[in-house]
Amino acid sequence: MFCEKSLNLIKELDRSTEAMPAFDDDGVRQVFEEMRGLYDQNVAAANDSTADPDGTAIAGIAIRHAALERNKRCLMAYVYNRIRKVRNMRWQFGSILPPEIKANLCEPEIQWFNSYSKTLALYMKSIGDQGLNLAQDVKPPKSLYVEVRSLTDYGKFEMDNGEVVLLKKHSTHLMSRAQCEPLIIQGILEQITH
Amino acid sequence: MYVDNVIEGFYNAVNGSRVLLFVNYDIDAICAARILQHLFRCDTIAYTLVPVSGIQDLRQAYEENCEEVKYVVLVNCGGTIDIVELLEPEEHVIFYLLDSHRPTDLCNVFSSSQVRIIGNSDPEEGIPEFDDVFREDSDEEEDNSGEDSDPEESRAAKRMRMSEEAILKRRENRLWAEKRDRIVFNYTQFSYYGKASAVQMFELALSLSKDTTDLLWCAIIGVTEQYLLGKVEKQQYVLDSGTLQGYVSKLSHNLDEDPTEAANSTPVTVPRISFTKDLQLALYRHWTVEASLRHSMYSACKLKLWTLKGERRLHELLVDMGLPLVQSRQKFSAMDMVLRQEFHSMIEKLAEKYELDQLVFASFILQYGFRNKYCASDVVYSMLALLESTGREKSSKDCFLEAMDALSRPKKNLLEDGIEKAKVMLTSIFKMVQAALDMQMVISGGPFLYFIIQEGALNARQFSHPHTLILLAQFVLQAYVMVRKKKATNLPLIASAPLDADEGTCLVVGIPPVIEDSPKNFFGKAFEQAAEKTNARAQLDYFDSSVMKLKMEDRSKFFDALAALLS
Repeated sequence: MFCEKSLNLIKELDRSTEAMPAFDDDGVRQVFEEMRGLYDQNVAAANDSTADPDGTAIAGIAIRHAALERNKRCLMAYVYNRIRKVRNMRWQFGSILPPEIKANLCEPEIQWFNSYSKTLALYMKSIGDQGLNLAQDVKPPKSLYVEVRSLTDYGKFEMDNGEVVLLKKHSTHLMSRAQCEPLIIQGILEQITH
Repeated sequence: MYVDNVIEGFYNAVNGSRVLLFVNYDIDAICAARILQHLFRCDTIAYTLVPVSGIQDLRQAYEENCEEVKYVVLVNCGGTIDIVELLEPEEHVIFYLLDSHRPTDLCNVFSSSQVRIIGNSDPEEGIPEFDDVFREDSDEEEDNSGEDSDPEESRAAKRMRMSEEAILKRRENRLWAEKRDRIVFNYTQFSYYGKASAVQMFELALSLSKDTTDLLWCAIIGVTEQYLLGKVEKQQYVLDSGTLQGYVSKLSHNLDEDPTEAANSTPVTVPRISFTKDLQLALYRHWTVEASLRHSMYSACKLKLWTLKGERRLHELLVDMGLPLVQSRQKFSAMDMVLRQEFHSMIEKLAEKYELDQLVFASFILQYGFRNKYCASDVVYSMLALLESTGREKSSKDCFLEAMDALSRPKKNLLEDGIEKAKVMLTSIFKMVQAALDMQMVISGGPFLYFIIQEGALNARQFSHPHTLILLAQFVLQAYVMVRKKKATNLPLIASAPLDADEGTCLVVGIPPVIEDSPKNFFGKAFEQAAEKTNARAQLDYFDSSVMKLKMEDRSKFFDALAALLS
């Protein structure tokens, strides 16, 4: 059957549970080989038109051409869907990809990722006076302020507006989310949920 | 200065800048702080909350946190001391006092610039007039300038008149000072408690239209704590719970509009508060009936459960109720359905026979989901146990935060944990009472009784917290009065427990006599004077003036002085 391999490529991509499955070099190569074979057969049949008085060869060429087209569409879909995943990862992980994901990308995909990052960075820099990190709050937070509790004696912490807060163990604060997010990640503060 | 309009004078004033919150270690303060936190969260008023345990702690915490702070709110602390003198703040800082401790310090009442007291001044507090307490000494010079206008008078005569006037003036001054001392003494003689801070904060939330069931529950807990720890009179509690019931029906109005429809449409997970008759039995919903009867102060004292005879009476009561012993030793929730449903009515019926007529009181129950049903008094006991469960690896501040978290509904396991701890606490209180009466450890010191827990006694560590010790002292006094009948009803009790073995300090609390209806406590002033007289190394550091730290060696000397002072 024609096109079975290319369809398999797409199915595999769809079924895989990993964040980013490895680029299937082998499968893609096999599809290319099949396509080359089909093309060669078509060329041979077309050149040999004399041997085809009743037009059966024309029908064969048409079928093979349709198979070629389908293979092409499948390969495009495969590449396009992978690229979409890569693009989402830019928003998810930032401009540096985790190594285990990078290992599963092929060279052109990495190139595309880098140029996408660059374009995005350029765009973000152009917004407003100082630029705006679009990737920071993709979903708007419920409130700008969060309740946090100090887990360690951190000492004085100066906020953007110049106010100084003493983060001492056991004290509770209501602070702006942007300010305390890094501290929460560092494990100095703990967010209180209600 | 009193702030009558809390929204204008307090809430809108602090809105927009960072607020520093100091919260005392008691349940009412925690509840009030929780309501405030909710309000501040709604309006994104940035705040910093610091728990403070005593006066020194407050001063230190203020020094650390005072940078660039304009507004400071003190919850259940600082009202009874001159806050400006203690903290020496910069001039632009404004203090808001939300304190249920009374009497409020006069400097705080009359300070117009920096101190604002949230709430109305109660006429019953008897705050003296400003002119009676403070007087400016500026009129002296005026008199002198008046003198010079009469040149014809001879010098001697003039001096005579001057000195005469001076004497008169001095005499007047002295009289005035005496009068002032008397007024101030009368005002500060007794320490007692006013309206619960949690209720005040709930009323603020109500007037801001931000009242929710959770906030109301906080207010209820605050009031119930005041009642259970004997901080307010019973009548006051009845009045307070009446107002709270009004709020409850306001909030549950929508649910109750159509009972049939409400039952179908409102999910069970929505928290609901109901106002019902309840029994003064500690934790009985989470314990066994027998244990709860035994460890609750009221039933234990009435039945004298620390004696063999009392034990028999308890069994008699259970028999009369028709409650099999096996069932009564079963967890309440595992008892037979019929017995469980009839428990209330059974015990109510028998209350008169066993002189347990005050066993029934009005209380609140919070219910959400199918399994979670908590009585306000159970939550108070649980939080008290959490608040005072300090251990080797748990500082008192950890406990404070745990007690605070126990109020939030998703952290139910903390509350359950606290209930288990409360059982241990109540059991050891009961054992201590039994030991105190059997070994005759309650000693009459003349005008008062005293009871000392020796270092090394069983569970002595548990009593080194003010609230537990107060509960114990009340239990001991009630039980002692039941044994000694009339003789002891008008004697107050002082209880003392070891606090810190290394420093050799002990904790001393004083509670008023049983016969007094009002829980006004005169020990605060007495402690202060006795400590002064004996030069005892005492620290009157707690915001409750009837609680103090004392060096162990100075204890007998201190008690002698106290006896001399009070007799």
